[in-house]
Amino acid sequence: MSIWEKLMSIPREVIMALVFIAILIPALNPLGLPLMVGSMSQAWYDTVDNMPAGSIVLFDIGYGSGGYPSLGPGNIAAFHQMFENDLRIVMMATDLEGSMMYPLIMAGVKPESNYGAVYGEDYVFLGYIAGTQTAMAGVLGDLHALASADYQGTSLSSLPLAAEVGGAEDFDIVAYMTTAGGTAEGWVYQAYSQYDRPILGGCLSMMTTSIKPYYDSGQMLGLMDGIKGAADLEFLTGHAGDAIISSDILSFTQTLVLIFILIGNVAFWMQKGGGK
Amino acid sequence: MDYRRDIPLAITFLVGIIAVLDYYTTFESVTNTFTVIKNWGVVLQAFALGLGAVNLFRVHGKRVSERTREDWMFSGWLLLMLVLFVVVGLGTGQYDASTQYAWIYNALYMPLGATMYSSLAFYMAYGSYKVLRARNFEAALLFITAVLVIIGNTPIFPATFPVFFNIREWIFGPIVSGAYRGIRIGVGIGAVVLGIKTLVGLETGYLGRW
Repeated sequence: MSIWEKLMSIPREVIMALVFIAILIPALNPLGLPLMVGSMSQAWYDTVDNMPAGSIVLFDIGYGSGGYPSLGPGNIAAFHQMFENDLRIVMMATDLEGSMMYPLIMAGVKPESNYGAVYGEDYVFLGYIAGTQTAMAGVLGDLHALASADYQGTSLSSLPLAAEVGGAEDFDIVAYMTTAGGTAEGWVYQAYSQYDRPILGGCLSMMTTSIKPYYDSGQMLGLMDGIKGAADLEFLTGHAGDAIISSDILSFTQTLVLIFILIGNVAFWMQKGGGK
Repeated sequence: MDYRRDIPLAITFLVGIIAVLDYYTTFESVTNTFTVIKNWGVVLQAFALGLGAVNLFRVHGKRVSERTREDWMFSGWLLLMLVLFVVVGLGTGQYDASTQYAWIYNALYMPLGATMYSSLAFYMAYGSYKVLRARNFEAALLFITAVLVIIGNTPIFPATFPVFFNIREWIFGPIVSGAYRGIRIGVGIGAVVLGIKTLVGLETGYLGRW
């Protein structure tokens, strides 16, 4: 077997072991590699920054444990900015696991101690609502007809913020973070198309190709694409966290993948050309 | 007249018409009626989750009782965890908002879910190395595009050479968005046709029997 043939068929175990090392080095010793803030994350940040204090955000936690490493850090950074700007947040979950993500996010944001926010007045969590687009339509149509209590069973009428919102017209903006393509597009259909509500979206990097056209057309005002977008938000909000560390990991691993792709191609062409 | 077929078709037609009217008109009575229907939909879909749990018990309970498959113990583990989560959720009276439920979720399910998703990184790295080979013209186009997108998505490259970010944005803009819009418009037209056919009873596949 020639050297080129060997380079064309590097064992899976070797590649995976090197990827593991490329993950491990920046994870154990964050390097703070440079970062260029993307235009979509910048648009998200600017949109929130320009909202007047007291504005109400409907925020969908549309992901579970699988999506948390990518979207959780961005979600925390987004909430930091919203609480800093005195926005009020009505949260819901279209993902069954979303209600389990809520305490993790709140543990990272600490709205009471960091911003003096009060549950019920400044933020409310409705819990998981089944039905995805039906749930979106229900919340935007008539929230109180759909849900009578928050995720802990407290009556919505006893929570000032929840009592204040009835439907789409009471939300100044709709924001979501999700791992599901149906949820990401569903909010555009339900909130933008039907009620003309501005939208901010967050999704996995692999979903960007299918969601970005809605951003390009102006139907979405900002888009946080995966861990890179999350790192951008952490950088912009000044709350460095897991995403910026992951950004170093991304630089390491993707550079390694690029090297492997190039090695495979050089070896392929050399072998095809009869090189030994 | 076949009532098993015609009654569901009539319900579909009625609900569909109310949904369409709610979108295009502002009659309060229509809005109120559709609000009730939407709430029914949410309840029905929540009920379907319970039905899913019952089905899990039926399928995996059978595997455990027969023990003919090599992996029957995984079915047993699944049922054990299912019972554990339900008992803890109901036992505390606070369901998934209880500390105990959150603890077992964070200790058991959360790491597994994150690991499953994260393990993709290893397979994608190996897959990219094996598949992205410029064997012919079409593959070369894919190879060049993929390499440029990977470079544009790798934080350190655009931060050092902003031109890579602009190239990625250009690929995502005119090329990807243009193509994807074409696909979505096609899907949208198809969905409208399917919706109309379903509404008037020409499409009955969703009933599962015809």
